[in-house]
Amino acid sequence: MTVTYTPARPIWCAGCGHFGVQGAMAHAFAALDIPPHEIVVLAGIGCSGTVQNNLGTYGYHALHGRVLPTAAGVHLANPRLTVVAAGGDGDGYAIGMGHLVHAFRRDLPFVYVVMNNGVYGLTKGQDSPTRHGLSGIGGFDAIDLGLSIPASGFLARGFSRHPDQLRRLMTDAVRYAREGRGFAFVEVLSPCVTYNDTYASWEHLVEDVDTRQGYDPSDRAAAFAVTTGLAAEGRIATGQILLDADRLPREETVPAAVDVDPAANAAAYRDLLDRYRV
Amino acid sequence: MTATGTKRVLTDLDVMVAGQGGDGSLTVANLLGILLGRRGFHLYVARDVASRIKGGHAAALMRGSLVPRGSLGDRIDLLVAFDAEAVEKGGPRLSDDGVVIFDASDGPAERTHLPAGARVFEIPFARMAVRDLRRDLFKNSLAFGVAARMLGVGDAEAEEVLARRFSHLRPEVAAANLEALREGFAYADSQGLGEGASPWRLDSAQADDRILISGNEALAFGFLVAGGRFYAGYPITPASEILSWLERQLPRFGGVALQAEDELAAINLAIGAALAGVRAMTATSGPGLALMQEGISQLGSAEIPVVVVDCQRSGPSTGMPTKPEQSDIGMVVHGGNGDFPRIVLAPGDPTDCFELAVEATNLAHLFQGPVFLLLDQAVSQDSVTVPPFDVDGVEIEGGKVVSAADLAAQGEYRRYAITDDGISPWAVPGTPGGMNLVTGNERNEWGQVSTEPANRVAMMDKRMRKLDTVRPRLPGGRRFGTDDAPVGILGIGMQLGVMTEAAELLAAAGVPVAGLQPRTLWPVLDETVGFVERRERVYVVEHNAEAQLTHLLASVGVPRDRLVPVLRYDGIPFRPGELAGRILEEEVGR
Repeated sequence: MTVTYTPARPIWCAGCGHFGVQGAMAHAFAALDIPPHEIVVLAGIGCSGTVQNNLGTYGYHALHGRVLPTAAGVHLANPRLTVVAAGGDGDGYAIGMGHLVHAFRRDLPFVYVVMNNGVYGLTKGQDSPTRHGLSGIGGFDAIDLGLSIPASGFLARGFSRHPDQLRRLMTDAVRYAREGRGFAFVEVLSPCVTYNDTYASWEHLVEDVDTRQGYDPSDRAAAFAVTTGLAAEGRIATGQILLDADRLPREETVPAAVDVDPAANAAAYRDLLDRYRV
Repeated sequence: MTATGTKRVLTDLDVMVAGQGGDGSLTVANLLGILLGRRGFHLYVARDVASRIKGGHAAALMRGSLVPRGSLGDRIDLLVAFDAEAVEKGGPRLSDDGVVIFDASDGPAERTHLPAGARVFEIPFARMAVRDLRRDLFKNSLAFGVAARMLGVGDAEAEEVLARRFSHLRPEVAAANLEALREGFAYADSQGLGEGASPWRLDSAQADDRILISGNEALAFGFLVAGGRFYAGYPITPASEILSWLERQLPRFGGVALQAEDELAAINLAIGAALAGVRAMTATSGPGLALMQEGISQLGSAEIPVVVVDCQRSGPSTGMPTKPEQSDIGMVVHGGNGDFPRIVLAPGDPTDCFELAVEATNLAHLFQGPVFLLLDQAVSQDSVTVPPFDVDGVEIEGGKVVSAADLAAQGEYRRYAITDDGISPWAVPGTPGGMNLVTGNERNEWGQVSTEPANRVAMMDKRMRKLDTVRPRLPGGRRFGTDDAPVGILGIGMQLGVMTEAAELLAAAGVPVAGLQPRTLWPVLDETVGFVERRERVYVVEHNAEAQLTHLLASVGVPRDRLVPVLRYDGIPFRPGELAGRILEEEVGR
């Protein structure tokens, strides 16, 4: 067994919601029996942007807001890897917001976990775009955004205080992406105990749609009606909000496995050169 | 041009075909290019377009010469003008006995822009094409007929050229074009320009094996052959051809090319692919490169191999998108926050573009960091005949990528191991036993974030050592002119061809100069420093207002008082005679 880095101990405050997220990730990898060398965890900048140090997998610390294109690049280069991008609401919904729309649109099979706490913790308490939005008043809802983009197929929201639900959602997301079905988006309500402790308030606002009578996560319009309806009441939908279970894995090329030896490609290269002969 | 008997024998010819965008100016230029190519002429083809989809004044500029030339000439010999604006723009550059073939559908040509000796054929191409052939586009073949007669080319040869150009079209279209060509011949007859009656005679030579290719295409080709299999880019003039070329070709070779949502995404997509061990590249122009700066710093810090192409255009800001400039030198060499090693290669023609793209792709992997290819609009988009690329001679160098077996044998693996050569063994994701942490933060050998001062210094020094490791293999420059001359001429990119020819003109005028085109711009090679140190003065030819190349050389210890910047920043490339004239003026004044 080759000795590599020792997974770090989390830097988070005692009680931080991110512990639950990390636990759910570790659970998913174990439950699906994925060897650590086949996993790449990429994280952005912020408190959440340290989770990749703690899991014993391949890890990458992305530029602020750029975890999505970086993860897409890893996936496209080697679709055999299990790619999990992670970050906070500042990273994902402020500086990196532009990429989220395109991640939904491209629908490349990797997981994106946003740890949403409504605040910038690492820089000491500034408002994030969701600071005043999670109870449905103003602000912004990434799940609703995802629902509005037809290519999306997996949208879920968990809550760090509900570890069983979160582990289930995370495992399903990793499985969905690993099977090549598409982009799996998991937003986690992950309170910041230091700057925006919302454990108690969110506990009373969340409703797990999976426990709703007759909720059908494959019905996009109904899902939108439920999430916006709950938001109008000042509440927050959690659970498997959208799941296109019929989506089939796509065939993708694997650039990392391609033979780039010039000798192996010589005839094709010469053919290409011939097109320019005068 | 030389004169034999009563005929002027054409060995070096500049043609301009111009009109409103959509006139098909390029079709006539293509036909003339095929004709010249068959006669063994080397070609240099440029376009002068407005930054809009269609319309606006557009020109194709072409030089054919029996000696290979890397730029357009100073004067235009043959101007095919589809409108008055073409005469207005091309006329002042017409040679004294130049010829204008003018579409007089809307009236006669305005002569005030033309030299007194110019010969003008006024032909209502468009009206004739529409009246007799029922399609405006046929005016191209008609104009080509008159041009071929003027060049002293036999009708049969002109017809062969036309047949080759339209061989892929439906037979009736080819036949209609042939009819148009013959109508052109008939018109020439009516003007006393019968077959063989021209005062000009196009020379010919044995045509050796050549390709006609632009710098952007050559660069993309080189990247492919060097094993490049991932490209991400955002459309921007004058880099977009690299995106479209690779979108067509990479999938055929198991690779991926995609159009990103912006330049921030483009460079981070490339970073992701490179992390996974695939040879990756992105290309842009100045404004896009400005957006990529954080990613470039990340490449340097986190030690990720990506080739970054900057096809420079006129700045600042959005500047003049379709015009060439060399004003990103400062940004490319110094951009990005913090200190990190980088390599900047500067190709001067399509051959360089191919070879340096191969080198850049290898170098990025060897030294695990950003390697720039710095072009300019002219190098990027002008097409030049060059010898076919040596695709069989390309070698792929993998650098210090480690396998599972290597890892098992060594028992321990540190992604950022401090080594004598500064380069750390690299396990790419998917390799059993190689799990590691990659970060742009300062980190220890294990990839764990660290601000410990001694570690910081050791890591910075390790990264910087990588440049010394690869320095001996960095591509040397190209020399031309008179090697032992006390006066030098130096420039990068599009200056190569102009300088080479200017050096010949200067030598003929009694001022021999030694020339250097550095192909490695950063780090500045000893070769470049030595070139200046061995001379009394060196003219530094650059397209920018700040003399950025001059300042770069001075910043590494080249004596500033020996450097004489020769600057231009009007969006128009130097021409050889003009450049020689400016240097001659300086030299005479001394």
